[in-house]
Order: sequence, then structure tokens, then C-alpha cells
Amino acid sequence: MSEPKSRREIFLKLGFGAGVAALGAQAVASLRSLVPNVSYDSPTTVKIGMPNDFPDGMKFLPDERLFVFREGKTLHAVSAVCTHLGCTMRAEALSAPETKDVSGKPLRLTHRFLCPCHGSKYAGDGTNVAGPAPKPLAWYHLSLSPDDGQLVVDLARPVERDFRFTLA
Amino acid sequence: MSAHPDKPAPKPDGAPGVHAKPLWSIRPASDREAGDAVVSNFLLHWFPAKTYKPSLDWNYSFWLGTASAALLLLVTVSGLPLLFLYVPSVERAYGSVKDIEYVTTFGFWIRAVHRLSAHLMVAVVFLHLVRVFLTGAYKNGRGQGQKRELNWVLGIGLLLCTLFLSFTGYLLPWDQLAYWAITVGTNIASSIPLVGPAIRELLLGGRAIDQATLIRFYVLHVIALPAAIGVIFLYHMWRVRKDGGLARADRLTLLPEKAAEAPSKTKTYTLLGVARGTSPAVKASTLERPDTTVNSVPDLTRRILIVVLAIFALVSIASVFYHAPLEEPANALVTPNPAKAPWYFLWLQEIVTDTTVKIGSFTINGAFLGGVLLPGALIFLLTIWPWLDKSAPGSAGLWFPKDRRTQNAVFLAFVAGVLVLTFIGTFCRGPYWHLYWPWQAWPELPTRI
Repeated sequence: MSEPKSRREIFLKLGFGAGVAALGAQAVASLRSLVPNVSYDSPTTVKIGMPNDFPDGMKFLPDERLFVFREGKTLHAVSAVCTHLGCTMRAEALSAPETKDVSGKPLRLTHRFLCPCHGSKYAGDGTNVAGPAPKPLAWYHLSLSPDDGQLVVDLARPVERDFRFTLA
Repeated sequence: MSAHPDKPAPKPDGAPGVHAKPLWSIRPASDREAGDAVVSNFLLHWFPAKTYKPSLDWNYSFWLGTASAALLLLVTVSGLPLLFLYVPSVERAYGSVKDIEYVTTFGFWIRAVHRLSAHLMVAVVFLHLVRVFLTGAYKNGRGQGQKRELNWVLGIGLLLCTLFLSFTGYLLPWDQLAYWAITVGTNIASSIPLVGPAIRELLLGGRAIDQATLIRFYVLHVIALPAAIGVIFLYHMWRVRKDGGLARADRLTLLPEKAAEAPSKTKTYTLLGVARGTSPAVKASTLERPDTTVNSVPDLTRRILIVVLAIFALVSIASVFYHAPLEEPANALVTPNPAKAPWYFLWLQEIVTDTTVKIGSFTINGAFLGGVLLPGALIFLLTIWPWLDKSAPGSAGLWFPKDRRTQNAVFLAFVAGVLVLTFIGTFCRGPYWHLYWPWQAWPELPTRI
């Protein structure tokens, strides 16, 4: 510390370093503020109506972007969101429904799904069969709400394709 | 060096270097007056006093850079009134754009000018890049201190800014066109492995396209990107000047010297260049030969004025007849069929449709391969190309020089590919992205399920 020159150097570096650190911290703070801490998105667990509102066959729920299928007492729900780039799919009724084994359980296929954005095609069980779609459509968990008996879909809980919800 | 050797130049009224007139003369009476206009006028101070004559040829540059700048000016000016009229809120955005279109006096015209000049700017900036590549104008000549490669990189930055500006503006009307273009665009970002979903969430300000998304795109569109494009544009122009003008001007140094000439002084383009020896130096005698250079005022200024006025006139008149599209309000429940990106991204939409590949049981989403990796690789390759191009300096500033024939052909093949894919995406894709001939009718499909 005896040489004034080196002390000057140290202060210069300190000052410069402090300036860089301050600018860096301000930049980090500004950018971090842009990452949301709270999500006001719609909830992922949604009541979708009384079981009697669902007729045999398929019902499309635009708000949840979901196809709900019913066959007698059993129901299952397939996502209507294309796995390629997230467009909403259209369902097309098959002229001749067929029954196929899906994950070890028989499933009556009444529709197929077509994407308007890039032409992906899915079979009735959600398997991607043509176009750029990289993976099959998700199936979601169904249950009954204990308070009012409505069907509840959990859009954050994908299930295997042998999942069926059976009404009591 | 007077234009009229028998007449002495008229004496300037003020102090030396201070131009008496508030503006410059369209017809300067002398070389002195012409040079004075450049030296003492703020608007012209970044021009050279003299310009290499062939640099001004219409059929060399097609004035595409000037046209891009004119469109940038036009898009900025037409954006200002829109800034007062548009409301960036999910509830009111669509209504305010509808008001601009149908209620505000001249609103439809201002919006059409804004939209049309934005679309034209994308096309013209791209053509400018094509011109610069084909003429090898990113190549340095014999001058010292030239960094034309850097200016090429800045130009690519300007092209990307132009594309993002156009894309962010696309969302603001909050109609069906906007909503689904942003859905597809941001899902491309989320297809990047590991960080993708986080990037999408940062772009959208949440997990769904909502108010947070609109305000983000709005701020990018009206502040962040215009600021970026402004700064890079100024740097781009400054570099053109520092590099000694267009690459074609370097051909001046290649001109044969007259054998009888005594060793003569050299001249540089910049004052600092004299002190540091870091500027292209050209023999003073060559520079002053009347067949090689002309005064920038009025020969350069007049041409710039013509290009700018032509662009303004063209866009203004076309906007009376062109109506900027406004579709139904954004509806998250219904995807239009077909859902198309803006035309300048349709070649990418074509690619993301066709690039999902399966390697064994492993599938790569076309969105990542065609939407991120491929365009990223193309931009990277374009950026570093000046360092890969080993052709002789003498082939810069020429259309189709012999020793750049192969790279020009490959480049043109890529350009043609992009154009063909854009054409297919625009005219040949119908419902469910099926192929139709442009004259073929699309089948009637229900718009809602």
C-alpha cells in the first residue's frame, strides 16, 4: 500500500467492478421481473358437466380442448391439442366404426382427428398416423366431483390409454 | 477543381466551412458549393463529397438499401397515428383496430400504408441481402480498415429485426389470424429440448396466450425492436461510409494508372483515415478524373430523393386500393382451417410440416428440426459466409463474377427453394393442409364442429 500508483489502480478496478456489478444486477432484476410468479391461467381441474350431458359417442368441449367419449357406462377423454404445434383438432366421424385393442383393452373407434394447421392425422385412440405430429394425443384423467356429481377432468394428469372411467 | 475553370468560384458569405444556406442547393453553382453542402449540412454530413459514378447505376444496386430505409421511414411515420388509436388490451384491441379500419377518418388508409410498407420492407430487405450476396459486396477491397463483413452481419441483424417487427405487429389486431399465428410461432419455440417450454412461457408471460402476451408483443413492437433496428441501421450506414462506399467503389483502386503520370498524392475518404492510415486510399488523380466521380450533391441526393418519393408514392397510392385484412376476433376455441402463418414464414411452415423424423423409436418434432435447427443453421451459415468466401478481392462489386459462380449458384438454389416453398404454402395449401392447385376449389367444410 506504500505506492500511490498501485492504490489508484486498486480503486480504479474497485470502482469499475462496482459499476459492472451494479449494471449486471439491474439487468438481472429487470429480466427476472418479466418471469411471472403467479399464473392466472384457467385451472387444470375442471368440472365439465353432469354425466347425463354426455350422450353415447363423442362430445367436443371447446373450452377444455377435449374430446369426451362415452360407451354405455364407460367414459374416456382425449386431448384435442395437436402434439405438433398446438392447434385445435377437428374430429371426423368414421363411416364404419371399428373395435380395436388399445393397450390391452378393446376400444370402439368412432372418429379420427385431423389438424388444420399442418395436416397431422390421428386415429380414434389418439395414435398419430400421418403428418408431422411427433407423438400420440394425451388421454386425461376423469372422475366424479363428490359435491355435485359432475364429471371432473384433470388436464394436468395424463393417463395410460387403458384408462376408463366407469359410472356406478 | 472548379466546375467552371474560367469562372472563379463565388465567394461564400459566411466563415469558411459554414454554409450560408439553411438547406443545400439542388443545383450547386460550383464544386465548392457542392462540397460545402455536404460538410456543413447535418442531414448530409455522412455523405462523401464525391461519389464513384458507377456506384450510382440503377442496375447495380437497384437502390434496394435506400428503398428499405425509405420503407422503414414510412412504416415509422404511419405507425405514429396508430400508436394513438390502438389499445393494447385483450378486451379492446380488436375493437380499436376495427375502429381504425371503419370509423376513424383516413384510418383504413393509414393502417394499409403501415401494413403494406411492413410487408414490402420484408421483401425489399431480403432482396437487398440477395443483391449484396450475388455481387459479393461483403468483400473488402484493397483499402485499409474496411470491415464489410461486419456490415453484412449487421445487415442480417436488420433482416431479423424486420421479421420480428412484422411478426409482433401481426398479433396486435387480436383476430383469428393473429391468435393462431402466435400459437404456432410460440409452440415452435417450445419445441426446443429442455429450455423450450421456459422460453415459450417467457414470450407469453404465462402458459396461455392472454393479456400478458399482448402487452409483451406490443412493447416489443413499438419500443424494443424499433430501438434495436434504429441503432443497428445507423451503425450500418456509418459503416458503409467507413468502408469507402459501395463495394463497387473499390474498383476505383483497380483502374489502370496513366503511365506518364508522375507519382501523385493519394486521397482517403475520411479525415481520421489520413492521420491513422486506416482508410481506403485512392490516387488523387484517379479520384478527380471527371469520368470516375461526380459531386454527391446533387447526383447522389437527387437519386435518393427519387427513390424515396417513388416508394412513398407507390405505397400511398396502393394503400387506397389495398385493405389490410381483419378477421374474426381471436377465438381460442376454434382453429381456422387452414391456419396459415404470414407469407414470409410460410416456407418455414412448409418445412415444419415435412421434417418430423423417426429414428427407431425416437421421434424428433418437425417444429424443432424445421422451425429452429434449420433456420438457425441457415442464418449461422449466412452470417459466417464472408469468412468462408475465398474469392479474389477483384470479384467484389460485380454481378456474377466468374470465380464466385459456384457459391452464387448454390445461394440462388436456396433462394429459389424458399420462394417455391413460400408459393406452395401461400397458394397450394387448403383445409387440413392438403395440396390443391391454386385454381382448384376447396371442399366445403363446417367452420365449427
